[in-house]
Order: sequence, then C-alpha cells, then structure tokens
Amino acid sequence: MVEKVRTVEDVCCPFCGTLCDDLEIDVDLKTDQVVEVRNGCQIGTKKYFSSNPSDHRYTKPLIRKNGEHVEVSWDEAIDKAADILVNAQRPLLYGFSSTECEAQSKGVELAEILNAILDNTASVCHGPSLLAIQDVGASLATLGEIKNRADTIIFWGSNPVHAHPRHLSRYSDFIRGYFRTDGRNDRYIVVVDPRYTHTAQIADKYIKVNPSEDYELIQAIRAMLRGSDLDVKEVSGVPIESIKELVDILKSSNFGVVFFGMGLTQTLAHHRNVDTAIRLVTELNDYTKFILIPMRGHYNVTGANVVFTWNTGYAYSIDFSRGYPRYNPGEFSSVELLMRDEVDAALIVASDPGSNFPAAAVKNLFKHPLIAIEPHKTPTSVFADVVLPVAIAGIECEGTAYRMDTVPLRLRKVKDAPGECLSDKEILERLIEKVREKMGE
Amino acid sequence: MAEINLKIKKKLDFPLEADSITPDNFAGKTAAAIKRLPLYYATKQVTIGDFFDVSGKSTDVADTKIIIDGDVSNVKRIGENMTGGEIVINSGVGMHVGNHMSGGKITVNGNADDWAGAMLEGGELEITGDAGHYVGSAYRGYWQGMKNGTIKVKGNVGVESMLWAKSSKPSNKWPTLYCGSADSFLGIHNHGGTIVVEGDVDRCVGADQAWGSIVIKGKVSRLLPSYKKVGEVKEVQLPNGEVIKGKFIEYSGDHTIKKETNGRLYVAA
Ligand code: SF4
Repeated sequence: MVEKVRTVEDVCCPFCGTLCDDLEIDVDLKTDQVVEVRNGCQIGTKKYFSSNPSDHRYTKPLIRKNGEHVEVSWDEAIDKAADILVNAQRPLLYGFSSTECEAQSKGVELAEILNAILDNTASVCHGPSLLAIQDVGASLATLGEIKNRADTIIFWGSNPVHAHPRHLSRYSDFIRGYFRTDGRNDRYIVVVDPRYTHTAQIADKYIKVNPSEDYELIQAIRAMLRGSDLDVKEVSGVPIESIKELVDILKSSNFGVVFFGMGLTQTLAHHRNVDTAIRLVTELNDYTKFILIPMRGHYNVTGANVVFTWNTGYAYSIDFSRGYPRYNPGEFSSVELLMRDEVDAALIVASDPGSNFPAAAVKNLFKHPLIAIEPHKTPTSVFADVVLPVAIAGIECEGTAYRMDTVPLRLRKVKDAPGECLSDKEILERLIEKVREKMGE
Repeated sequence: MAEINLKIKKKLDFPLEADSITPDNFAGKTAAAIKRLPLYYATKQVTIGDFFDVSGKSTDVADTKIIIDGDVSNVKRIGENMTGGEIVINSGVGMHVGNHMSGGKITVNGNADDWAGAMLEGGELEITGDAGHYVGSAYRGYWQGMKNGTIKVKGNVGVESMLWAKSSKPSNKWPTLYCGSADSFLGIHNHGGTIVVEGDVDRCVGADQAWGSIVIKGKVSRLLPSYKKVGEVKEVQLPNGEVIKGKFIEYSGDHTIKKETNGRLYVAA
C-alpha cells in the first residue's frame, strides 16, 4: 500500500499556554495539507486546520494603494514597511505572544534600532501578574511538580475547561502522578469565580465571589490565617463560615496550587488581586507547601516576557525613546499610549489588537500608518497599510516557546507555508536590514 | 530670590521630557546657558531653547525660583531629583512632576498627571487641582517609595497613591500626604506614611498597611474586612506632631500583615 499521509509525532501545540507536546499530525503527501490532528483539544486542532489554504490566509505581501490591498513583491513591501518605521517619530512594536522566541528577540533588536516602544500582549492579559511579582515575589513550580504532588488545586478566576482544555487532564486534575496515584480522587478542587463555570461544575468546592471583589475576599482569608476574628459576617458575598472552612482546607493540604486567570488580573484591582494572592500563597507556606501559577493564554506570551526580559531587563511596556530601555506600564503600555494618541506608526506582530483593544485605542491605531505581520485576515490586518504574510510558527516553521510555567519547549515544523510566506524571524531580519540601510547605519 | 521665567512656545504632539528643569540644573547659569540644556521629545534630544522662551538669571540652588507659564500639561519630569529652590507651574503638568525630589518646593497651579512626587525624599509638592494616579508612590518594583516630605493636593488623588510609603523614626522622617479625596488603594503597603483626606475615599484604603496613620474626614466606600474597630476618638495625633480634632472611629489594620498591629485608620464618625 502506498502511504498517502506523513505523520509527525510529539508536536507541540502552538495555541494556549498549556503547550501540550504530544500532538500527532497527519499531513497529506500530495497537497501538503493537514488532514488529521490527534491528541489535541478542539481549539488546538482547529489552529492546525486553519493553516491550510483558505480565503482568509495571506500568501503574498500586500500594500494599500488607493484604499485597496494590492499584491506586491517582498522587496517593495519591506521597503514600504521600513519607510513607515523610519519616518515615524514614536513607533510602537506590539504583539509577539503568538510567535516563537527567535522572532521575539528580533523584535527587540528592531525596537532598539528605532528607539521605539516595545510591548507584548501581557500588557492586556497577565501584565498585572508581572507587576505583582515585581512587588512581592512569587512561589512558583513546574506543571510536572503539580501533576505528581498537588492535592489541593484552586482555580481562581480561570476556567480551564474552555480556555486551557487539556490542562486538567495533563497536569492539574484527572492525571495520575507519582504521589497522586488515584488521579482525580486524590485531589481536592476549589473554584472561585462569580460564574458557575464548567470548571466549577466539576470542582469539589465552588465559591461564588461577587464580581470584582476578589481582593477583599483574599484579604479576609489572609487575616483569618493570621488568627484574627473578623468584625464582619460576610465578605464579597461569601459567608464567614465558608471562608473558615476554606482556610482549614488550605492549611491541611500537602501541596496546594493556585491557578489564576484573567478573572483576577483583568477585573478591578488588577495587579493588586495578584499581589494579595501571592502573599496568601507565601503565608500558606508557614503551614504547608503552596505555590501559584498564572494561566497564561497565548502559547508563547511567557516566552515574550522571558525574551524581552533577558534582552532589556523588562518583560513588557518598554520604551527605547532615550536610547536605553525604560519600563513603566501605564506610561509605556500600548493601550494607554494609544488612548493618549502618542503613537504615530505601529508594527503588529502575531496579534490582533483591532479586535481586543478598547475602541478609542483602536481608532487612534488605525489613524496612523500600520504594518501587520499576519498569516490570516484579522480586524487589524484589513486596516493595515502593509501586510506581510507569515508562516505560522509551530506549524510551518520551527522555534522555541515557553509554557505557562516557563518551561521552554521546541516547536516543530509539520508542513510548508503556502505561497510566498516567510517566517516572523525572516521578515523581521529583512526589516532590520532595510531599516539600518535607510538610517544610514 | 533669583527668578527664571520659562514660557512654552510650541504645541506638543508628543510628551516632552524635561528632567533638566530643576533649580539644581539652572543654578549659576545665564538664560543662554539654560536654553542649551537638553530635553527629550519623542525619540529626539532637543534643548530647552527649542521649546521654551527663557528669561532671568540664576544664582545658587536655594535661591533659584523657576516660573513656568503656558500649557505644560504634556511636559513630564519637571523637578526630577531637585534638592532645593522653587518651581511654580502656572498650568496643568505632565507625569512624574517632582519625582525623587529631596528638597525645595514645587507648586502646580492646576492638575498634575500620574506619579506626581513619586519616590519623594523631602521638600514640598503642592497641587491646587487634582492629581493623577500613584501620587507619592514607589516606582514599579520598589519596596520603599516616599520616604520624607509633604505632598498637598487640593482635589482628588488617583489610585494607589502613597504606595509603599516608608517612615523612619530614628531619622525623624515622616512622609505625609494631604488630599481632598482619593481613589482606591490609597496607602497600600504603607510602612509608616501619614495620610489625611478631607473628603471621601474609594475601596481598599490602607490595604496591607504594616504601620502608619490614615485619617479620613469623609466616608470610605468599602472598608476592608481585614480592618477591625478599636473604638472612638475625639482627636488624632499624627506622628509629625500635628493634632487633628474631630470624632473618628479608630480601626486597626491591616490584619493581613499581623494579628496585633500599630496600623491605624481613622474614619469620621
Ligand atoms: S490545551 Fe492548549 S496547548 Fe493543549 S491542545 Fe488544547 S489548545 Fe493546544
């Protein structure tokens, strides 16, 4: 029998921060298209199929001429993009979380040459976690530790059933581990969320907290852990008895973990929610082993933070305007800069701010010249002046990505990119070369 | 006092960074020399003369008074690191006014943007309008923010003002903030800072306060559950010696830090 497909094994899924590394992909030998994905969850699988040619996939560089996108050569597109960046007074380079580390470090290089502002999507997701960690430190661990040891798992403001579908079966809930031989039965799951989510429905204890009142609830838990009796009967919609019960559960566990998501970082109080959660975890270590892990969304947003940090000292919201890196979210973070209309050109890499930034910020983004390095049509790319079509990292080119627990894993190439697509890294390298040339370096 | 007058002559499309505008940098310089001092605009280094008309002459630091006119609401870092002398700004002012200042006085006749008086180590900053977020705060990642000096804001202060303030009894340093009203997380991580609010404050005032005094003459929108009522008092004595008269409910906290704590919050009864 003649083989019709080629199977690539142990593939790392470039979708969410769980970064599952056990996918098997079948690629049709004749068409070089993905025909089957095994082991992946629905969203991960979908990403592989999205790489196949479609109406949404860019295959040639585009430039906007008279209001329409027209196909051009790579040389013309790179030249135009470099012109935009060199002529800008305050360019912004944003995105980077859905591409691989080598491309991210090229982004840092370009930002430095241009004296630009450099930011990644942590700015609008787990940036508050990083701020809190800078303020009060953090006790972390790898997901393997959790799989083998953790017996008390708290999902606070995170809903992995939908956002990180295989997290529960690979690391945190159903999986059997060295000291957790009975898997789910050996673990006690707590969910704290204003909504009775699907994760809450499979938990042992669900705590319904009032929206945006997580901070007060954690403060109450911490005060009770210190041995104080509180003046109040209820905190954030949770009766004191229920909090007492939770404190006892936490203290009597062998190894506890708090997985927190955007329910903590992007509700009122933002980084202060994480700040107090970290301190709770630190204080619980007086009684037992406790750690916490941010549920990172984009598969390599952790990598973006790591790469930016080892290059500049800072994880996101970095300003090179004075020739050296400075860091100050709120002052140099993309959304705030755009809201104040302080950016006059932008390069967006592997991200879609057009669909997730506030409308006022997006309006200002679209007002000025815009370059998108993007595999698919997105609300951002359709407004771009230059679209540079890219091979999808982890599907059409190799690279490195960092899992949510900062474990680096190798991304694989399973097929070729369609048309004239280049990798993010190659595109950024060509841009750097052109920009240097135009700046007379 | 030797006066130097600065008047901005251009409309700004981007923020202008003016950390060179301090009595320390101006001391002993003529107007022509002052005009040559650097500023930063977008990605370019420019000079004071490019953006300001300058007149007057300066002597020594303590004797130098800088008066700034025209709209400087997008000019950042005025008075950074200043150790003496005086600055009067007759307009709203951009971010970081008076950050790291250790002496002298800055008066802003208008509103100030975020991080006014951040990391203050001494001197006095007065703002006649509202101030943005992080007034008198620590910069990102610092465990000790404002260590001494006084900030007075007539209007409102934004979130997380006086973050990580740190007093020192042995060296008699009592960082103090007076303000009209305040947004959430006023005095968070307080280690001895003093705060007096004429009006109301939003949620989470004094969060994680280790020690210090916060006096609120208005209402608190939501008191933290980790604060406990101690009793009622008829006056409050501040660590700097000042006495505030009035009926207050005294709370201790934040009990997240310690079971027995010297941290105090006084809210008008
Ligand atoms: S859980 Fe995340 S990493 Fe794993 S297969 Fe699904 S999308 Fe991919």
